Amino acid sequence: MTAEPFVTDSATATPAHPPAPSAPKTVVNPPPVQSSRSRAVERVAGVLALVGTVTTVWLGLWVTPPDAAQGDLVRLVYVHPGVAWVALYLAFGLAAVSSVLYLWPRTRSLFWDRLAAAAVEVGVVFNVCTLVSGSIWGKPTWGVWWAWDARLTSTAVLLVLFLGYLALRRVPAEPDVRARRSAFVALFAAVDIPIVHFSVNWWNTLHQGATVLNPGLTLKIHGSMAWTLLLGFVSLTLVFVWMLLVRYRVGVLEDWLDANELGLALAERQSEGSGAPGPAARPVGVA
Amino acid sequence: MRYVVAGYVVILTVLFLYAVQLVWRRRRLARAVARVSVADGPPGAPGAGGVS
Amino acid sequence: MHPRTGWLRMWRDAVLVAGKDLRIEARSRVGLSQVAPFGVVALALFAFALGPDRSVMAKGAPGLFWVAVLFCTVLAVQRSVSVESGDGAHDGLRLSGIDPAGLFLGKSVGVAAQLVVLEVVLAVGVVLLYGARVAVPWLIVVSCLLGTIGLAATGTLYGALSAGLRVRETLLPFLLLPIVAPVLLAGTRIWQAAMVGGTPATGTQWLRLLVVFDAVYIAVGVLLFGPIQETA
Repeated sequence: MTAEPFVTDSATATPAHPPAPSAPKTVVNPPPVQSSRSRAVERVAGVLALVGTVTTVWLGLWVTPPDAAQGDLVRLVYVHPGVAWVALYLAFGLAAVSSVLYLWPRTRSLFWDRLAAAAVEVGVVFNVCTLVSGSIWGKPTWGVWWAWDARLTSTAVLLVLFLGYLALRRVPAEPDVRARRSAFVALFAAVDIPIVHFSVNWWNTLHQGATVLNPGLTLKIHGSMAWTLLLGFVSLTLVFVWMLLVRYRVGVLEDWLDANELGLALAERQSEGSGAPGPAARPVGVA
Repeated sequence: MRYVVAGYVVILTVLFLYAVQLVWRRRRLARAVARVSVADGPPGAPGAGGVS
Repeated sequence: MHPRTGWLRMWRDAVLVAGKDLRIEARSRVGLSQVAPFGVVALALFAFALGPDRSVMAKGAPGLFWVAVLFCTVLAVQRSVSVESGDGAHDGLRLSGIDPAGLFLGKSVGVAAQLVVLEVVLAVGVVLLYGARVAVPWLIVVSCLLGTIGLAATGTLYGALSAGLRVRETLLPFLLLPIVAPVLLAGTRIWQAAMVGGTPATGTQWLRLLVVFDAVYIAVGVLLFGPIQETA
């Protein structure tokens, strides 16, 4: 996003009053414009995601038959692994890779930082979906709303780590400082999650005397069920892609506003002070 | 079966609400950006254009 | 930079920094007079929460010990960071040309040393207050040493990341504690294995996990502490 700054200097407006002796120049960059190509990609992804998801729901709830062993519960298999894959691998993986790319000097660019932030936020949403749908699947299957097995626990820990990342980002800071901090947190989380998963797995299997819950989805999927499962994965991935694009755009706009709102407000105040008519009055109720 | 429906409803509702929030957020921010850049005006004649 | 002088400088700076932090602790005695009593208070609170039945407390003693250690770690790390937060001491440290890896190791050693003392206090407390009976003492000692190293290393890393933030007090625990969950898991399991009635063999397996955890985060700290410092 290259921008040539142009200068607003209220002192040049009218010579009615002598300009304020030390009126600093305010610099405002032109607003970021979304390229038509990215808009098109976003639209296509959105439409495909919507169509795919609706089709998956229709197939999953009505068209496909219940499983011989699991009965109707197998229908959750069409969506739960999909959201889990997005949350645990796609979103988290993307956030980790983007963070490393930001930290690496040769590829350092705020683009990676914004992408990571978008991936984490969307990942949190999918993570919550994973935990809730997993819990709902678990209640009739194992009889409990929660089990401390490796997968569920690691997902929960990942959620907390994601939330920590977002909390850290909310602290006001220069964009590159914030980017660096966030990137390190993401990196440490990426390093930690495999260790956590491994430990909890061990923790369960080596536990003395307790019954070991095995939540593995061991079922044979074939025919229409297999296609629905695949469609579920693809649709939810497209949903993630669409959300990622929109969230990234939101980040770009937020950062631009943070950088430029102050400059404009300063220009307005200065023009008031020098008596010259400043920038055109903003409508009441500006955000 | 009601567990299944509950699961689907939860996932779809959460995703839908978040999607709506994203679109609303982007719209609000785009409007704010438009206001800020219009109010700023072209260089050399700030304020000469009148009210936006 | 000659490889050997690089290493030597790192160790020399680590000793310098660790000595500084420990000297400050020796003079102010914050760890001894505030953090240790807090740990003991935590043990008492656990006892109130779990009821007067000593068998329940004895069974939970390993976990409760490590949870108390985690709480004390948060306090010790906060203290380690706040020692440099006033009067531009943080910038002074960076400008002094101290090797960042040495700074990381030195601060970690400082935190670890304090934690070891705290753990002795807490271990005694757990044995006395909860009636925990130890069968294999060397497992206890080794687990505490390895766990402490991991806690100190990760704590120093996150302390540096959050050093400049006003919300550090609330953010640091939230960031740090999930990361050190493996230490809690491993430490608890090893202690359970070392108690009367446990199987020491499982304990040694978990020791390996602690070694891996420590190695990973020490490596991360040594390699990345320089860039991390620039975020403050």
